[in-house]
Amino acid sequence: MATIMIPLSRVEGHARVVIEVRHGEVVDAYFQATEFRGFEYFVLDAPAEQMPVIVPRICGVCSTAHHVASVKALEDIYGVEPPPVALQIRELLMLGQLLQNQATSLFIFTMPDRLGIDSIFELDDSPASGGEITRIKTRALQVRQVGTHLITLAGGQFIHPIKAVIGGVTSGIPAEAAETMYQELQWALPIAMDLVDYYWESSLAMGERLGTWGDDAPACYIASVEAVRPNYYGEVIRVFGCEEGDVCAVFPPSRYREFLTMEPSDYSYAGQTSFHGQVMRANSLARANLVRDLGTPRANEYLRRFHTAFGRPAHAIMLFDLARGIELVYAIERAMQLLEMPLDEPETSVPYRPRDGEGFGLVEAPRGPLIHHYRVEDGKIASAKFVIPTVHNLLAIERALRVAAKRYVKPDRVELELEAAVGRVVRAFDPCIACATH
Amino acid sequence: MKRFAVLQLSGCAGCEVSLINADAWVDRYHLVYMPLVVSAYDMPEVDILLVSGGVRTDEDLHMLRRAVRRAGRVVAAGTCSVSGGVANLGDRDEVRELFLAEANRHRVPRLLPKSHPIDRYVDVDLYLPGCPPTPELFMAVLQADGTFKASKVVCQECGRTKLRDMKPQHLVGFQQGKVLPDICLINQGYLCVGSSTRGGCRAPCPRAGHPCVGCRGPSDMLIERESAAWFTSIKRVFRSMTEIPEEEIDAALRTPQLALFLFQFADYAGDEGRKRPKEKVL
Repeated sequence: MATIMIPLSRVEGHARVVIEVRHGEVVDAYFQATEFRGFEYFVLDAPAEQMPVIVPRICGVCSTAHHVASVKALEDIYGVEPPPVALQIRELLMLGQLLQNQATSLFIFTMPDRLGIDSIFELDDSPASGGEITRIKTRALQVRQVGTHLITLAGGQFIHPIKAVIGGVTSGIPAEAAETMYQELQWALPIAMDLVDYYWESSLAMGERLGTWGDDAPACYIASVEAVRPNYYGEVIRVFGCEEGDVCAVFPPSRYREFLTMEPSDYSYAGQTSFHGQVMRANSLARANLVRDLGTPRANEYLRRFHTAFGRPAHAIMLFDLARGIELVYAIERAMQLLEMPLDEPETSVPYRPRDGEGFGLVEAPRGPLIHHYRVEDGKIASAKFVIPTVHNLLAIERALRVAAKRYVKPDRVELELEAAVGRVVRAFDPCIACATH
Repeated sequence: MKRFAVLQLSGCAGCEVSLINADAWVDRYHLVYMPLVVSAYDMPEVDILLVSGGVRTDEDLHMLRRAVRRAGRVVAAGTCSVSGGVANLGDRDEVRELFLAEANRHRVPRLLPKSHPIDRYVDVDLYLPGCPPTPELFMAVLQADGTFKASKVVCQECGRTKLRDMKPQHLVGFQQGKVLPDICLINQGYLCVGSSTRGGCRAPCPRAGHPCVGCRGPSDMLIERESAAWFTSIKRVFRSMTEIPEEEIDAALRTPQLALFLFQFADYAGDEGRKRPKEKVL
């Protein structure tokens, strides 16, 4: 038996793909997460109220999602209901996260595959090189940075934010700061749309060249947004598109163990989740398959185009990438809507009384539903489980890797395209290994 | 054009994300290796190597030793790389056993018994603490032209007013939402350690109403001393500014996680702690 090992780049964290081949036939393909830090152990005995500061360190890319999920889990335990203005500011935080993440995935992680280069940073945007026409690098970094500014405004700092606290947020957003941010988003919107259009076209061209978009078989999907006017703040989890019917399960985060089967893996530091044994897919395509109306005009136009072109539900894996483009536009538009509302209320939090118990905090992170599940005893963390969206996708990633491997591993040779194909498959799911292993 | 590389060991990628935001380097420095954003199998020779994350696995150690040989200047970037960071929380006896028992898996890099900062294994030319260091700090490292100016401690960068007559009797919870604008967080009873934490971050946390948790580590005054000096310095500030009983401050400072010293206390404590000369710390 031969083993082909392919290290991964332009994904978050340390991972590699291992393909096992016997007599020229692909036997199996594995996704190996190769790092482990142990956050579920780090936080044992931590004073519960420190969690929102500790857990963002699970991942610098997804720190906002962990910060908000953590605060929500503690509020669930303490029985606190934050005031509406705090919820609006937290939604802004999640939108900043979405904007930053989708821009990173679209332009820094996957655009180079469309352009046939190793990194977006090698592009030369200078007039001398002729690069000033597209200026992809400059504009992509600008759009991404607007997302980080939004997180800073709503969260205090753009990595490991601190402004969401149990009971609310530390402060409101002054009208002047909101106006400045609004204008920045307004400036970024046409740039983002232009880049998304370019990305869309070059993806279609790549799809045409490759003949297939990878693993096109149906799967069931998991997301925690609403079908109409989605809110990434997260209320209930939906699993849909499986054999039994359209929607196969709707459940609050407190019941995740009844619906999701979570198993550790002995060849990877990340586990795997299934819906009663069925392969699931989370992330942007799950949401694009679920949502009918985003509630913002331009993103809705892209969503309509997407549904018309690819059907609903759509299954080709590279549609994950295109769906991220829709969400990039949505995040900008929705943040502008929120910034037009008054966010400068004097009371941005309510008092709370700590108590022991068990609680669940759900958010729809860019990669799918994220749950923080804590048990607090004597004011300290007695157990913490982090239910990570990337882990929901790992079976689907491996299924898609087997498809890619079988296509490019021939009885007499391994085609050079294999490595690029593996990269495209994995990046479409935008896995976050730091989160998945935590 | 100067060439630089980023080697990411076990960490959260927050340092890398911060570096990407420091986009002033984009057209002035040549990024040749950084697996998060560049597809390249191997690290070529570089002028500057930034290492983020701690040494947690045998693979981390292997990568680190190989990389420094090809680097002109080695920078430990971020608190994990400088002094262990949040991973130090795994170094409590009861916790270490738990996770080493569970981490015995096939075909993945083996975990070392403990996570270490990189200067345990290689020589470091410059330390850049912060969780993560701000984009401005990353630019200061790349430029290395001495133009970067910072205050000695976070406190001096915060801009909140200290009041003489507002003396809290007790600490408020770490996560109380209600924060008065413009007034020092210590006056409001928060356990803020900005008075002893290295400046240079421009105090984003206390400015936004959250106490400084000390992610940049000890200031120049304290960095070459034992961690007890750090405690004493903080307690002195609270004694003069509040009426909070000393035992209360003591207990709060010593919760392992807030570890206020945040995540790095373990590394500076006791004889085992390495001294990092202040000239080498940005």
